[in-house]
Amino acid sequence: MNDERPDGVTRDEPLLVEPIRVMVVDDHPVWRDGIRNDLESSGVATVVAEASDGGEAIERARGSMPEVILMDLQLPTVPGVEAIRAIVEESPHVKVVVLSASGEEPDVLEAVKVGATGYLLKGSTADEIVNAVRRVRDGEPVFTPSLAGMVLSEFRRVAAPDPGVPGLTPRENEVLKLVAKGYTYGEIAGKLFISVKTVQNHVQNILTKLQLRKRYELMRYAIQRGLDQAPE
Amino acid sequence: MVATSSDERPPLPPQPGRRGLWLGILAYRWAAYAWMVLLAIGAAEEFREPAVAWLVLGATGLWTLWLSVTPGWDRPLTRWLDLGVCVSLLLVSGIVMREGYTVGDHPFFATAYPVCAALTWGAARGVGPGLAAGFALSVALTLSRPINGVSPADATVDQIEGLGNGIVYYIAAGGAMGLIARTLGRASEDLRRSQEEVLRERERVARLSEHATMGRQIHDSVLQALAWVNKRGRELGAETSVPGPEVLRLADMAAQQERALRALIQHEPEEPPKERASLRDALDADARAVGEVPVTVTALGPIWLPEHEIDELTAAVRQALENVVQHAAATHAVVFAEEGEQGLVVSVRDDGVGFVYEEDGLRSRGKFGLLESMKGRIEDLGGRMTVRSEPGSGTEVEFLIPEPGLGPGPAGDGGPP
Repeated sequence: MNDERPDGVTRDEPLLVEPIRVMVVDDHPVWRDGIRNDLESSGVATVVAEASDGGEAIERARGSMPEVILMDLQLPTVPGVEAIRAIVEESPHVKVVVLSASGEEPDVLEAVKVGATGYLLKGSTADEIVNAVRRVRDGEPVFTPSLAGMVLSEFRRVAAPDPGVPGLTPRENEVLKLVAKGYTYGEIAGKLFISVKTVQNHVQNILTKLQLRKRYELMRYAIQRGLDQAPE
Repeated sequence: MVATSSDERPPLPPQPGRRGLWLGILAYRWAAYAWMVLLAIGAAEEFREPAVAWLVLGATGLWTLWLSVTPGWDRPLTRWLDLGVCVSLLLVSGIVMREGYTVGDHPFFATAYPVCAALTWGAARGVGPGLAAGFALSVALTLSRPINGVSPADATVDQIEGLGNGIVYYIAAGGAMGLIARTLGRASEDLRRSQEEVLRERERVARLSEHATMGRQIHDSVLQALAWVNKRGRELGAETSVPGPEVLRLADMAAQQERALRALIQHEPEEPPKERASLRDALDADARAVGEVPVTVTALGPIWLPEHEIDELTAAVRQALENVVQHAAATHAVVFAEEGEQGLVVSVRDDGVGFVYEEDGLRSRGKFGLLESMKGRIEDLGGRMTVRSEPGSGTEVEFLIPEPGLGPGPAGDGGPP
């Protein structure tokens, strides 16, 4: 997975392994500086752009072509969730990690539904942040126990909107519950006698289903409102 | 004794309203009894059976006295006995009076008192039973005529009219009292409902204000912590060497406030049902109290439990977290709660050193105390505790309560009726 890089990455870096291109979106300069420092001092990532509000984030994501975006949700102009939706729609290969201070459930869940693949609290250590950036870049969703809990609650709360939009399989449910209990993917793999890769796939499938449900929800809403009729 | 019989429909008005009607009828009963005694004294010379007459009067007096003092005034048996007494009074008056006296110009000595039975039935059971009791009295009144030697065939128009008046009087009294009772019942039901609503609203306001007070306290402590971090941060920045422990203390202070503020935001948004509280809020408070290891609380959906169960569960969770802090050398702990098909599951999982869980061995080495206490609490709630641990791979303590909200505990606390 490490060789998967979007176009436009500069090839003349002196490092053997090129640092991950990250954009940091936060309206607090202190946080932007702190995260830049955490990422760059690790040598794993480089901050290619910063933005202080949602609108700016959408703009800069186009120009700087980051691989990973670390994004606060409480942003001026365009809210974080809307910015994620716009960015992921435009560049589906970009991985977005939500970095939230409050951990307010509805916002975080909404962000994941529109395309974020990771969630961290701002109190996380530098190691945790760097690790999350590396993992999402490699295509692994970064689920904290609380995000797993939110997603499980969501699947329980809202029944599948349509037979075509499946709910969780018993195995996915089991995996998600173990994540919610604080087990790492490696520990889950050991417990369920499956490979770590399989655990990651399960988590990825869960995310896909969640996003599919969201899209289906929007589509059905549009149909109900008669907005689906494209102009002739 | 018959306290509530199976054929009883739910009584009409609630106790206080019915009690008022009963007292009113009791006052009428005594007045009617006094009138009956006066009439009897006036008509003493007309008695065929004076001994029976005075005996019946005395018995009626005793019955009235008993009704005035009995706590069982509202029992169905009391009403049936009363109907029996009143019907007998009418029938017996046909025997004790001189032949033909019951249809004469003189007031009939037992007419006023018996209506009490119709009034009582109407007050207690509503229109139908009131009318029925009135009808029973009318039958007795009608039968008292032939008993008194008055042949129905010889009855004059006046006599039939008199009988008709009596019948209408009894039946109408029972029906009217039933109507009053029904109206009163509905009114007090409405009143009770609005009182309950007011009470619920008050509870809600109290809860909101409690939350607001908590918010104010947390905001204040956050501001205090920020002010201190600001002040000490500047002072430390001006010094040539920075004392590590003090910087860590500042960081701890900030972390504690961060957790408190986050918990305030994540407070259960929905209102708990009556006499229940949010397990998640309680677990959040427990997690906040642990300063040494970061603790995440993950609860699926709102979980409402009676407060004594929350107290027991959170006490067990606190003990589990205490174990984590003291022995696990963990970097993180997660408290997970879920209400599923097999019951309520609450688990405490850490990523620490783990251990070999073997009850007997731990007990013999005197290391089972805390675990024993946790186990006891959960078993008291009708549940069981499972410990999953291995050296090097953390520990999970799981509490399973198969029937939350139904386990043994203080009476009337969420149990089945």
